[in-house]
Amino acid sequence: MRPGFRGDRGGRGGGGRGRGGFGDRGGRGGFGDRGGRGGRGGGFRSPDGGGFRGRGGGRGTPRGRGGRGGGRGFGGGKKVLIEPHRHEGVFICRGKEDALVTKNMVVGESVYGEKRMSVEEGETKIEYRAWNPFRSKLAAAILGGIDQIHIKPGAKVMYLGAASGTTVSHVSDIVGPEGLVYAVEFSHRSGRDLLNVAKKRTNIIPIIEDARHPHKYRMLVGMVDVIFADVAQPDQTRIVALNAHNFLKNGGHFVISIKANCIDSTAAPEAVFAAEVKKMSAENMKPQEQLTLEPYERDHAVVVGIYRPPPKQK
Amino acid sequence: NMSSFRKALKSRQRNHHERSQPGFRKNLGLLEKKKDYKLRADDYHKKQNTLAALRKKALDKNPDEFYFKMISSKLEDGVHMMKKAEVEVTEEQKKVMRTQDIKYVEMKRVAEAKKIERMKGALHLLDAESKQKNKHTFFVNSKKEVKTFDLASHLNTAPELVDRVYNRPTLHTLETKSIQGAVDTPTQEKMARQRKHQYKMLSQRVDREKKLFVISQKIQTRKDLQDKTKKVKVKKETENSAAIYKFEAKRKR
Repeated sequence: MRPGFRGDRGGRGGGGRGRGGFGDRGGRGGFGDRGGRGGRGGGFRSPDGGGFRGRGGGRGTPRGRGGRGGGRGFGGGKKVLIEPHRHEGVFICRGKEDALVTKNMVVGESVYGEKRMSVEEGETKIEYRAWNPFRSKLAAAILGGIDQIHIKPGAKVMYLGAASGTTVSHVSDIVGPEGLVYAVEFSHRSGRDLLNVAKKRTNIIPIIEDARHPHKYRMLVGMVDVIFADVAQPDQTRIVALNAHNFLKNGGHFVISIKANCIDSTAAPEAVFAAEVKKMSAENMKPQEQLTLEPYERDHAVVVGIYRPPPKQK
Repeated sequence: NMSSFRKALKSRQRNHHERSQPGFRKNLGLLEKKKDYKLRADDYHKKQNTLAALRKKALDKNPDEFYFKMISSKLEDGVHMMKKAEVEVTEEQKKVMRTQDIKYVEMKRVAEAKKIERMKGALHLLDAESKQKNKHTFFVNSKKEVKTFDLASHLNTAPELVDRVYNRPTLHTLETKSIQGAVDTPTQEKMARQRKHQYKMLSQRVDREKKLFVISQKIQTRKDLQDKTKKVKVKKETENSAAIYKFEAKRKR
């Protein structure tokens, strides 16, 4: 008996394509990873006692296979452990999965096919979405142990290089209804996906413009607390500085993801990062920490710093 | 008298020589003349001897003798001809079969890659032991700060959590927030087991995907080799990589 294995299969079965005649009811059965234990008959603890449990138990037929059909993706809200993360609004989910998650703002919907998992706390049911560090530099930085991301509930964030809005959706989860995300993306193609994400999430303001020309969208954007940039351009620091001069409040923060290859593919990554950090200092952007993104990305670094820091008090 | 005169004339006559076969008629064989007798006799006896030898060989022949040629050849107008082997798979068909093979392997590989991608979506190597180490740099204002730098106090976290890189909750978080969901020990142990199993499956899938990639590369190389253009082997085939050939550049019209 291998509950883990069976559980996985059950998870797929329940994910919208229920097997055989159980259909939706089986799907809600909530056996999850315990599906493999069909042999125990009525031993399941399922919240709503889905159709299959009654049948299987009544006949007394210990059939492991049957159990699989009724599984549901995330253990019916029971089989995960949610641990609050260092950064407010971010969580760690440990169950069968081992994931960084954010609280889903639009319950019941995935943005880019990511896994969702829910936890019941008394009456209320909270849903979380997995945040893939292999795709998102910000997630990779968080799991790499970065000190501060400055993106927190209620924050106003400018996101340069929003692409299809996958990471933006998580940032929107973190800042919550009180916060705002200005998502800037130049490409129309990925901008289309970004617009679709923004339709469901009212705290995202999509801007399909070149981040090199902040004056083109200055009417849309107010002062922000933090700028996140993942633009992968050789003049990326200049781009961030331009936007910081226009929209970032004094003492606000910036988080820049640097891909060494995009700045200078011939120099050593370390040297590229150092050169970029130097450029930032020249723009009144004071770096505070730098983190490389192994094992999720190669030759990437995230630099976090403060813009126009307040003068030191003696 | 007249006859003596004739004889006298004959003495002055050029001797008559038997004519030999002229050069341009040589292909017609020897002429029947005294001088060629020896040659003709030798030829005749050679043929007789050959016939006698063949006759003897035929008499000595083992009637049960067998040669494979007896079934792989046949007589055509009195000449032995090899029978042609029937072609089972044409080159054309082979080519198509290879293409199909590649397509199948590729399909399997893509399926595997997709599953890997999906699994990676929820398995983030939080406390994997063998993962690559990253590098965290803090920028401070003075040398004095470097000397007195303490990671736990800088991160505002408990000292025992410093190595727990994926999540080092701040002291404030530790005081105010709590863990939700399945907190009882048996469930947690079970989840840890399941998690371990998931990671094992993921690594197996990654291996399988790599192997399928090598296979498809190797089939593709064999297919490319059928091309008639000149090529030079640059690198030998190994267990996990296909051979590399350099093809002569050729203008395609």
